[in-house]
Amino acid sequence: MFFAVAPAFAHDIPGEMRVHAFVKPEGQRLRIAVRVPLELLLNLNLPKRGPGYLDLPAVEESIPKAIAATAKEMLFFEDGRRLELTRSEGRISPPADRSFESFERALALVRGPRLAASTDVFWNQGYFDAYLEYPIASPQAGFAVDFHIAPGLRDRLKFDLRFLPAAGGVRAFEIPTAIGRVALDPRWHQAAASFVKSGFRHILDGLDHLLFLLCLVIPFRRIGWTLVAVVTSFTVAHSITLIAAAYGIVPRGAWFPPLVEVLIAASIIYMALENVLRPNLRWRWLVTALFGLVHGFGFSFMLQNQLQFVGDHLLLSLLAFNVGIELGQLLFIVLALPVLALLFNTARLSERLITAVISAFVAHTAWHWLVERWDTLAKVEWPAIDPATLALSLVLAVALGVLAWVLLGRPAVLRRRNAVARVEPH
Amino acid sequence: MKRTLLGLGAALAALGAALGVWQIQVGVAQADRGDRPRFSVDPFWPKPLPNLWLMGQVAGVAVDRQDHIWIIQRPLTLTDDEAGAESRYPLTGAATRTTPLSNCCKAAPSVMEFDRSGKLLRAWGGPADPGFLTSRCVAPSCEWPTNEHGIYVDHNDYVYIGGNGGPDHQVIKFTRDGTFIMQIGKSGAFTGGRSNNTNGDPHGRPLLGNPADTEVDPVTNELYIADGYQNRRVLVVDAATGLYKRHWGAYGQNPVDDTTITPYNPAVRDPNFRNPVHCVRIADDGLVYVCDRVNNRYQVFTKSGHFVSEVLYERDSLGNGAVWDIELSPDKRQRHLYNADGDNNVVSIFERRDGVLIGTFGRNGRYAGQFHWVHNLAVDSKGNIYTAEVDTGKRAQKFMPNESDHD
Repeated sequence: MFFAVAPAFAHDIPGEMRVHAFVKPEGQRLRIAVRVPLELLLNLNLPKRGPGYLDLPAVEESIPKAIAATAKEMLFFEDGRRLELTRSEGRISPPADRSFESFERALALVRGPRLAASTDVFWNQGYFDAYLEYPIASPQAGFAVDFHIAPGLRDRLKFDLRFLPAAGGVRAFEIPTAIGRVALDPRWHQAAASFVKSGFRHILDGLDHLLFLLCLVIPFRRIGWTLVAVVTSFTVAHSITLIAAAYGIVPRGAWFPPLVEVLIAASIIYMALENVLRPNLRWRWLVTALFGLVHGFGFSFMLQNQLQFVGDHLLLSLLAFNVGIELGQLLFIVLALPVLALLFNTARLSERLITAVISAFVAHTAWHWLVERWDTLAKVEWPAIDPATLALSLVLAVALGVLAWVLLGRPAVLRRRNAVARVEPH
Repeated sequence: MKRTLLGLGAALAALGAALGVWQIQVGVAQADRGDRPRFSVDPFWPKPLPNLWLMGQVAGVAVDRQDHIWIIQRPLTLTDDEAGAESRYPLTGAATRTTPLSNCCKAAPSVMEFDRSGKLLRAWGGPADPGFLTSRCVAPSCEWPTNEHGIYVDHNDYVYIGGNGGPDHQVIKFTRDGTFIMQIGKSGAFTGGRSNNTNGDPHGRPLLGNPADTEVDPVTNELYIADGYQNRRVLVVDAATGLYKRHWGAYGQNPVDDTTITPYNPAVRDPNFRNPVHCVRIADDGLVYVCDRVNNRYQVFTKSGHFVSEVLYERDSLGNGAVWDIELSPDKRQRHLYNADGDNNVVSIFERRDGVLIGTFGRNGRYAGQFHWVHNLAVDSKGNIYTAEVDTGKRAQKFMPNESDHD
C-alpha cells in the first residue's frame, strides 16, 4: 500500500484530490500519461532536503517504485484481458506546471529534461508524472480501467481521465476511486446493461419516488387497466423530462434542483391527501403524468454523474436507464400490491381507514422532506428579476392554463352537448 | 361551443399581451444594459466556521491556482465578549480573565483556506493555533507578525504573509499546509524607514518596513513586496532565496525616507509614496500596479520599475486613503481593475486600459454586500470577487458577477 493520505496537522481537512491521465490507443500500444499529486505518494517517503524540499537527484532512484505503485493500483484492460506494463518513465514536476493540458505536452514533459537539482519542490506540493505503455492487440478494442488508488478517500479522490479513441475525439471521465472497472468506449450492450443496472439501483435508493408510487397504487387492489394507465403515464412523463434533461433542455440555475426536490415532496403529499380525502381514479393518470414530469427531472439529477459512461450511446443509455427504473418500479408494485391486498382483506377495519392511515404516514414523511427541502430552496439565489424570464414564465403559465382548460374543460362541454343531443329527439 | 371559443379567444389575447410585455421589457433591458460589470453578494459565503471559531479583522485575501480562497485574519483583534468561549483572555500576555464568559466564540487560526462554496478546507498559523508558535513557526528564524497583514499564494502553492504591527519588519513564507520555509527581514529590526536597504537581515536579505502585501511573478519567480507602512517602496526579491533584486519608489524614482512629510494635499502630486504602500499586483501583460493608499492614487510600472502612468481617484478623501488593494478581472485582456476603497467603503471598478472609473459597488454599512474598511480583495477564475474587512468589519464576503449584465 504505497498510497496514503495523512492528515498532517490538527486542522487539516484534506480537500479533493485529482489524478489526471490521458489514455490513447495507438497502433499496437496503449499510451498513458498520468499525473499523481505528490501528497498521494506519502508512503514512498521520497528523500528530502532542507525544510522538506525533495532531494531531486536522490528521488530519481525512487521513480521506478512510484511507477510500480501507480501501475499496480490503476489497471487497464483490453476486451476484458488485463494489460501488462512493458515500458515506463517518470519524473517530478512543480505545482505550477501546466503540461497536462494536452497529451502531447504531457508526453513531452515526461520525456523532457529533468528539473535542476536546485529546484525547490516541496514534498507535498508537486506532481509525480509518468508515461506508461501497454502492448495491445487492436486500437479499436474495448478498453477499460480499474482505478483504486487510496480507496479510503472515496469521493474525495477523483480520476480525471481523458480517453483519446483511435477514431478521434476526446471522451472525458471523472471517476471516483475504487468504483470498479469502467469501460472507456462501451459497446452498446455494455452501456445498456450498465444503465439498466444503474436505473434499477437508483429507483430503489430513491425513497421519495417509491413513496409516491405507493400512494399511486394504494387505491388499486389488483393489476388492471387503470393501474397500467397510471404507471404508464408516470413512466412516459418522467422519460420525457429525463431525456430532455440529459440533452441539456433544462434550466441551468442553482435554484432548479432544489425546486424540483420541493415539488417532488409536494407531489407525494398531494397524492397522499387525495387518497385520504377522495381518490379520483379516473383522472389519476393525468395528475400522475404531470407529477411524472417533475420526478423525471429528479431522476436526471441522479443520472448526471453517470452520463460520462454512455460512450457513443446516449439515447440508448437513457432508455436503458428508464428500463432500469421501470423494472425497479414493477418490482416494488409486485411486492407492494399483495401486501396491501393482504392488509385490506385481513384487517377488520374499513378500506377507507386503512388507506387513510397509510397515506397519513406517507404524507407525514413527505412533509418533513418538504420542510427540509424548502429550507434549501429558500437559500438559493434566484436569478435577478429578468423581465424576459418573467414574461416567458408568464407566457408558459398561460399556455399551460390553456392546455389544462382545453383538456379538463372539454369533457364537461362534451357532456352537455351529449345531453342536449339525447334530449333533442323529443 | 360559444363559451369554448370565448375562452380560447381570451386565452390567446392574454398570450398576445404577455408576449407584447415581454418584447417591451426585453427592449428596455437591452437599452439599459451598460458595459460595466455588476455584482451581487453571496450572503451564505463563507459557511459557518467549525469549533466555535470567529474571525477577527480580515487583513488579506488571495485566490490560489485551484480557485481556493485564502484569508489571513487577526485572532488577537477579537474583543473580550467576541472571544467569550475562550477560557483565557486575551490570548497572549497577561490574562484579564481565566474562565469562559459565554457559549461562543473562540479565536481561529490566522490562515484559512476555503473553497468557492465557502467550505473551510484548512486553517493554521498564528497565536490561536495551538502549538504553532512553539513547534512550527519558532522565533528567531520564523517570527509570526504581531498584526497579520496581507496574504498571497503563489503558482507553486507557497503562502506569503506580511505584518504591520510595530515590530513587524518581515515577510514569512510557508507551504500550503503551514510548514515554515523562509523569512525575509527581521522583526523589530529598526524604527522609521529603511527604504533603500538591500541586505540587512541575518541571512543577507533586505530589511522590510511593515510590509503590507506581496505577489509572485510566476514567469521569473520574483516576489514583489509592497513595503509598506514604514518603508516607501516596491521591493523585488528572489522568491526562492529571498535575496534582493531591485526596488523603486513613486514615479520609478529612488524612495526617500527622510523628506518632511506634509499633510496630504489633494491639489499636489506627491513625488513620493506615502505610507502605507499598500498593494502590488502584476498583470498578465507585465504591468505592475501599486496602491499609494493615502495619496489616493495607483501608479503603474513595468516589471523593471519604469513608471508608466498613474490614476488619481477620490482625491478629496482625507481619511485613510481611497486605494487599498487592486485586483484584475480574469478575462484574457484583464479589462477591468477593481480597487478596495476602504475610506469610502466601496469597491471601485476601472477600465484598466485608460484608468477610467466606470462604477462602484457596495456602500458603508454592516449588512451583506456593504463594507466597513474594505481592506483587500481577490478574484477567482470565474470572476467572483472576495473582499476582506478590518477595523470592526471583521469579515470576508463573496460577490458574484451577474452573468446577464456581462458583455
